[in-house]
Amino acid sequence: MNYLFPHQYKKIGLMVLIPSIIFGIVVIITDFAPEFLDVKIEFVLSANPFATSNNNLLNEILGILVILSGVVVAFSKEKVEDEFIGKIRLESLVWSVYVNYALLFLAMVILYDFDFLFFMMFNMFTLLIFFIVRFNWQISKLKKTSFDEK
Amino acid sequence: MRNNIKVERAKNDMTQAKLAELAEVSRQTINAMELSKYVPSTVLALKLAKIFGRDVQELFELEKIDWK
Repeated sequence: MNYLFPHQYKKIGLMVLIPSIIFGIVVIITDFAPEFLDVKIEFVLSANPFATSNNNLLNEILGILVILSGVVVAFSKEKVEDEFIGKIRLESLVWSVYVNYALLFLAMVILYDFDFLFFMMFNMFTLLIFFIVRFNWQISKLKKTSFDEK
Repeated sequence: MRNNIKVERAKNDMTQAKLAELAEVSRQTINAMELSKYVPSTVLALKLAKIFGRDVQELFELEKIDWK
């Protein structure tokens, strides 16, 4: 049992992940918020249960898309998912957790208030992104160097 | 750990791709083992021995550095 998705899911995941990331960044930069996604939210879980607020759903939708597709891309099997690939997968996961928390550590020390919140918004997704980039980079490096000798 | 995978593969006139297919692993795994960058699991070691018709001990050999 390795808790991985079938290999075919990786492509589908990428087709959702890449546009979602690009659109997400554009939305952050331009503050784009289409009116039809404006909703009134009741804060059921807040300290004041009757408080309401106007919210645009676009960032929630994009965030969910990035998380779901990112998890699928990160944890879909390779074409031949064997023990060596599994080892690289584990190494990449350890590496990306270190890098992600090293950055968070730095941000805690040098960023405050809204700068820190802004950083945290990205930090929610960077663990997955770092893992995907590092793992696929390692795999492609192997594919290049492992020439077929007779 | 030292291994004779490359030698056995040459004796059997087998490509890395062919051996990978028989052992049900990726070609990168065969390559990494031949370069001593990866130590296979017991199951994979036994499979390789079976493919070459050898004992595991003939295919793999402990080295001094394997002992701490």
